[in-house]
Order: sequence, then C-alpha cells, then structure tokens
Amino acid sequence: MLKQVSKYWWGQLLGWSVYFLVNVFFNFTLNKPNLHAAVIYMIIFTMCGIASTHLFRTLLNKFRGWGSYNFEKQLVIFLVLVVSTSLVWYFVYNLVLDYMVGNRPKGKNFLLNLVDRGYLASFAISFIWWVIYFIWHYVDRNRTTQVDRLKLESTVKELELKTIKAQLNPHFIFNALNSIRALVDENPQRARTAITELSNILRSSMAIEKVETVSLENELNIVKDYLALEHIRFEERLQVRYEIDPDTLELQVPPMMLQTLVENAIKHGISRMVSGGTVFIASRLNGMEHEITIENTGQLVEKNVVNGHGFGLESTRQRLSLLFGNRATFDIRNKNEATVEARVVMPLL
Amino acid sequence: MKKALIIDDERLARSELKKLLADHPEIVVVGEAVNAKDGIEKIENLHPDLLFLDIQMPDKTGFDLLAELEKSPQVIFTTAYDEYALKAFEYNALDYLLKPVEPKRLADAIHKLHQQDEKDRLAASGGIRTLLSENDQVFVKDGDRCWFVKLQEIRLFESVGNYARVYFEGNKPLILKSLNALEERLDERVFFRANRKHIVNLRMIEKIDTYFNGGLLLEMKGGEKIEVSRRQAVKFKEMMSL
Repeated sequence: MLKQVSKYWWGQLLGWSVYFLVNVFFNFTLNKPNLHAAVIYMIIFTMCGIASTHLFRTLLNKFRGWGSYNFEKQLVIFLVLVVSTSLVWYFVYNLVLDYMVGNRPKGKNFLLNLVDRGYLASFAISFIWWVIYFIWHYVDRNRTTQVDRLKLESTVKELELKTIKAQLNPHFIFNALNSIRALVDENPQRARTAITELSNILRSSMAIEKVETVSLENELNIVKDYLALEHIRFEERLQVRYEIDPDTLELQVPPMMLQTLVENAIKHGISRMVSGGTVFIASRLNGMEHEITIENTGQLVEKNVVNGHGFGLESTRQRLSLLFGNRATFDIRNKNEATVEARVVMPLL
Repeated sequence: MKKALIIDDERLARSELKKLLADHPEIVVVGEAVNAKDGIEKIENLHPDLLFLDIQMPDKTGFDLLAELEKSPQVIFTTAYDEYALKAFEYNALDYLLKPVEPKRLADAIHKLHQQDEKDRLAASGGIRTLLSENDQVFVKDGDRCWFVKLQEIRLFESVGNYARVYFEGNKPLILKSLNALEERLDERVFFRANRKHIVNLRMIEKIDTYFNGGLLLEMKGGEKIEVSRRQAVKFKEMMSL
C-alpha cells in the first residue's frame, strides 16, 4: 500500500513540476510581458491541477474493481470524471484569481468564458493525466495477471507430477516383480505374460502427461493388466467382475483415473481382508451421462477417508473438473456394511 | 540349526523366500503362515527361532503380531517398497529385507543372526522352556518407536491397569500384559515381585535400605525407588541371604 501511494505521489510531483517548468520556460523565452504575474498564475494553476487530479483519483477509487469493467463502461466513467474534475479545477482557479486580482473582464456568456479563461487547458491536461494514469494501471494489471497465470501453471505442473508419482505406486511394482520372479520357475509362460502386463502399466503411467483423455477401452486394458498382476499376488483372494456397456467403450475418460480408483479398491479394501473379496467394475450410459462405478469388498474407515480426501481421490476430482468443469461428479461411500462404492459421473461430450 | 517360520499373505512371496533359503541349510523352514492370526498360532505350536515377517498383511500388520507375542523370536522383516515401513526400520534399527530379496542381502542378514547367537551362547539350555530366560527378547511398541528388548536389560515392570510399564535404558513404554501374567512367566531368580505394583530385576538394584514396618526400599540403577512390602521383604532377604 505504502509503496503504491508513494509511486503515485512521485508521479504527480514529477509530472506537475515538468509541466510547470516547461510553461515558465516558454513564458520566459517568448518574452511575455509581466512574467512575474504569469509565474504566480502558473503556480496557482498547477496547485489546482494537483488537487483536481487527486480528486479524480479519489472519486475513481470509489468504483471498486473498475479495472474489471468492460471498456465502454470504463470510458464513460473516465470521461464523466475528467469533465467534472477539470470543471472544478477551472472554477477554483478562477475564483482564486478573481480574489487576488479583483474583477477581471468577463466574457459575454458562460461558454465563451470557459474557453476564454483556460477551461480547455485544464480539460486537456486532465485528459492527458488520465491517459497516463490509465496506461500505468493497465500495464500493472497485466503484469500481475501474468504472474498469477504463471503461478497457476506451476501449480498444475506440480499436481501432474504428484499424480504420476502417486500412480507409479512402488509398493505395487516391487510386489509384482517379486511374484514374477517366483513365477519364473513355477510357470514360465505366466511369468512372460506378467512381464508384458507390467510393462504396459509402466508405459501408460508415463504417457499420462502427454494426453488429456483416453478412450475407456484403452483405460480398461490397463486396468485388466493391473488386475491380472494383482491376481498373481492375491490368487483366490481377489475376484473381479465387469459389467461394461459396449456403447461406452469409445467414450473419453481422464487417463489413469479408473486405474487409480481400482488401485485404491485393492489397497484399502481387498488387501485388508483376510479372505479377500471382489472388485466389481461397471460402466453404463444414464441418459446424457456416462457413469462408472467401482465396488469393492471392505469398509471406508471414517478417519482415513472422510468424503474421500486421500491424494488419489483428490487428484481424481481435480482432473475431472479440469476436463468437465462442474458437470462431472465423483463420490465414494459405503454402499452397505460390506461394500465400498466409488462413482464417477461424466457428461457425454 | 535354526527353525524359521515365514509369515506372508502372498503364496508366491513365501515360495520365493523358501527358494532363496534353500542356499542356507542351517535355516530350516518349519512352517508358513498366511496372516497375523495364523502366525501367532504357528509360533505357539512350532516354537520357531526366527521369523521372516511381512509388514503389510490383511487385518493386522507384522508389528501388531509382534506386540501380541509373549516373547519374540529373532525377526527379519520383509517388505516391498513401503515408505512407512522403511521409516520404521531405519528409525528403530531393525533388520529388514526388501522384496524382491537380493540373495546377498539375505546372506548378510543371516550372518548377522549367527553373530548374535555367538553372544547369546551363554544362554540357558535349548528345548522348549516355559519360563522366559533373561536372553529372551520382547517386542515393545510405543507410538512410532519399537524395540526388541532383552529381559536382562529391563530394570522394572510397573502395573498400570491392564498394562505393564517396562523400564529399560531411558525408555518406559507400555505393553499389554498384566503384572500377574508376567510374574508367572518370569524367572523368579532374576525377577522379584516387590509389591502389588512392581516387579524388579534383582541384577539392576543399586542400593538397599531398610524401611519402616520392617520393609525395604530398593533404589534401582535408573534411580527409581521401589518399596518392598514387609511380607515380601522376608522373602527377599532369604533370597539374597542377607
């Protein structure tokens, strides 16, 4: 605040002293008569100028956030203010002069008087002053919005990185590698497929930053690979069911979103049950909406996920809102005492 | 020879570890458990000397399992990369193996066990003991910190409701065991019931003073002052032949 004020006053002082000196210089070089009086008039005129432009600024600041008005509205406000403040300036100046010099010759009518007694000058100077003021603010605002935009961009980048990190769940990767190593002797054929599945998952989790959306079909392939690997680990403790409407396969979804939710279902649901459980993935059309649900055996623990605020869930929300704004919804709840349901509803693009 | 029990909820992880242990004939895998509950039962039945223990298991973690044991066998933790578990290991200086287990790391861990055995060579006879000897270790967990404590390092057990407070070095965490249950299992030549609330380690007594009513006042090596009731003081003097 203090810095702003001092900048403004510096500008005022600098501008007006330049104006004053230039005028005095011209009066001096052009050898005008009664230079003395002219300088005194000039001082008064300048004083009044400072006062009226300051009045202009004070009035303008009554319009909070004038910077965000549209251009026409700004123009109207400025013109009204410029005309009125320069009028004030003119009258005050003339009053002071009349008081000092006594009655000076008056014009025939009010309008001529205006022209005669320097209203044009005060208006022109006010106008120039306003233009400078406006440009200053315009530039300043642009600079701050640019800074804001950069900040926003870096936040988004950070979020992306975090998501990627969250998706390359190291615990899963090393567990998978461990089971694959065990499979090498036991079932070499299955071990080979498992390596393919794992590389598919790694590949797609690295591609996440390159694409905005993928088709549900692609996403499902990844999820199937992922579940196949988890099935090697959990064996009969993990059952999987699908109910996918074929019409939804072509629809676009955020990459790795379904994968994150399925991973959550296993990490917080199935892996905590001694006898394991079922993951049920469904995708259907609901009027003009695409609904995906992931159910898993287990229960949300209140303290862990109140309304789903784990990082995976948070990033799901954010990515949905980046893509669909507020037209997509995501919630996670206990469907009954043995099942958790996560539900994503997206508009058909 | 060491009897080992593998506790892990994944069959493949267990079979992989067994395969690796085949190179170490001195370790005999006597059983496998698929979760914490199963693990506790098998420990009671098979009396293993060594546990290979997974941290993340359904229902209860490996740490929970250890906290329920009366005495803990030697433990080597196994885990896939897991930030939380790694922190706990580093912080508490526990021995752990990362899955997939590197054969050399496994050999190192086993080697370390043998070195420890050398130190404990003076311990009591083998076989199944009902009493806890001073070389037995208990697993103690207190918030984020956990320890394997040898009984000989414990100065004092103090009754706190259903729990017992364990005094060793500068720590005094709680364990979920009643003082009476402890007394039954502790070797009375080492651990003495001084009064209703305290069991003291006789080798950790700094000073003995007479107290009114024919009782005694013991000052432990940690500075704790423990009163010995009159009835117990008679017993105490007999034992110490004062």
